[in-house]
Amino acid sequence: MNALARFDDLLGRTVSMRALALLRALAGPVVLLHLQPFLSDAWRGETYRDAFYEPYAAWYPELPEAIYVGLLWLAAAAAVAMSLGFLTRVATATTFAVVTYNLFLSTTHFHNNRAYLVVVLGLLAVAPCGRELSLDAWIRHRRGQPARDPLAPAWPLWLLRFECAAIYGASGLSKLVDPDWFGGTVTWQRVVRARDDLEAWPLPDWALSALTDRGFHTGAAKLIVLTELFIALGLWWPRTRYAAVWVAVVFHVTIETSASVQVFSLLGIAVLVIWAVPSTRDRVLRIDSTSARQARLGRLVGGLDWLARFRVEPAPPGSALAVTDRDGTTLRGAPAVALTLSRLPLTAWFALPALLLPAVRRARRAGDEGITASVASR
Amino acid sequence: MSPRVRVVGRRVVFAAVVALQLGLVVRGYSSDHKEFAFQMFPESSTWRADVVRVTADGRRIPIERPWSGYRWDDLVADRGLSYPSVRHHADAGLDNQLAFLDAALDWVADNTPRDGDTRYLEARVTSWHNADPPEVEVLRSREREGAG
Repeated sequence: MNALARFDDLLGRTVSMRALALLRALAGPVVLLHLQPFLSDAWRGETYRDAFYEPYAAWYPELPEAIYVGLLWLAAAAAVAMSLGFLTRVATATTFAVVTYNLFLSTTHFHNNRAYLVVVLGLLAVAPCGRELSLDAWIRHRRGQPARDPLAPAWPLWLLRFECAAIYGASGLSKLVDPDWFGGTVTWQRVVRARDDLEAWPLPDWALSALTDRGFHTGAAKLIVLTELFIALGLWWPRTRYAAVWVAVVFHVTIETSASVQVFSLLGIAVLVIWAVPSTRDRVLRIDSTSARQARLGRLVGGLDWLARFRVEPAPPGSALAVTDRDGTTLRGAPAVALTLSRLPLTAWFALPALLLPAVRRARRAGDEGITASVASR
Repeated sequence: MSPRVRVVGRRVVFAAVVALQLGLVVRGYSSDHKEFAFQMFPESSTWRADVVRVTADGRRIPIERPWSGYRWDDLVADRGLSYPSVRHHADAGLDNQLAFLDAALDWVADNTPRDGDTRYLEARVTSWHNADPPEVEVLRSREREGAG
């Protein structure tokens, strides 16, 4: 297969849209947070036209104020519908259209977090992301209609992965090539300027001294830049993907606590779900329902397996909890719990480091070796 | 839509989006507002400006004084421009910030019809690019017709 044929296969291969469906559900509240300041102003009778604004182009349509405000409220309603998955295609397209229209009304509306939101909404609008985790799917089921195919060509997923990585890459690259940034001047000056705010935090004096020390920033700035570039590249390879996701969450939480970034952190963390392998229920969790602990884990998985990583099957009474991974490796007991929790979106960040524990690594290696021996003996 | 059209369509859309995004990243290194270039927290630069209204009879009146029923902080309420005489951080870079200030001077000049005195607005901007020494530049709005 030549390169172009492989490329076409990559874009056209049907894969699960589950991750995009989850992102669609998460994006709704992000849109509401984004619209909140515009809606607050509109409630007070103010719009962008009441003060300085700068159109991108004279031909860009500006609507009568009442219609503009109506559109903002329509976008809010559409975002709720999008999140719930009701009339999903229309709701997502409407949300995207209004948010985008509003962004391009004025250069003063532009912020990086809003640009990212437009990109995400645009790709959700063209992807069939309403076939799962949606009211539409539930209504079809209630009407006795067959469920719509949850698989679809992968190209929107690949495009969103590109955009996600490009954002970290572009940000990291711009800092890498700037001597003031890479050398620590920018971070040092920003921290020194925010010293009064820092002193309000419960930090020991030595930490405050370190944070405001010029020499500290010579190293810290490089770490920040390399972190962004690691995330941009590490997301692409299975061996580094989990680490990149874990680091990205830390990165966004740190930014959120230290800077005003509107919806960027929430959106950045939500988008990370798209890096899940786009196939569902290809891991098996075997649970002895007579065991209270295993039953509890089963209920947890039932409630939190938003990316549909697991098929839950009953195990004979007295069995240890077991998880069979995608590659056929079977883990039991605590390593199985660690693996399971590391694959649920809400618990993944906390559980992923447990996979590095010696006991879990030994159990996974033993499972690998068991499969290899079994294959060799055939 | 035939399968061949779908295949070619996907290629074109994918390539176009990738090319557009990469182009916007490159453009960000030379444009003021850097749309979709995702250069985040780019500078620690600061700026301040003394903005005056230059009247037909040559007076230079600071915009901190309301005029003809207008207040600068009501007219220019966004992007950290409301109180230009206070030294501010340029959140998205100096070029971005000063481009906004330049545009704001023109907007105020064009959108204060009750003001019959002002010929133009002028901002004497002092900026500090990161740790560099301060630089001073003067920005001016369009001349207003019918002043004085």
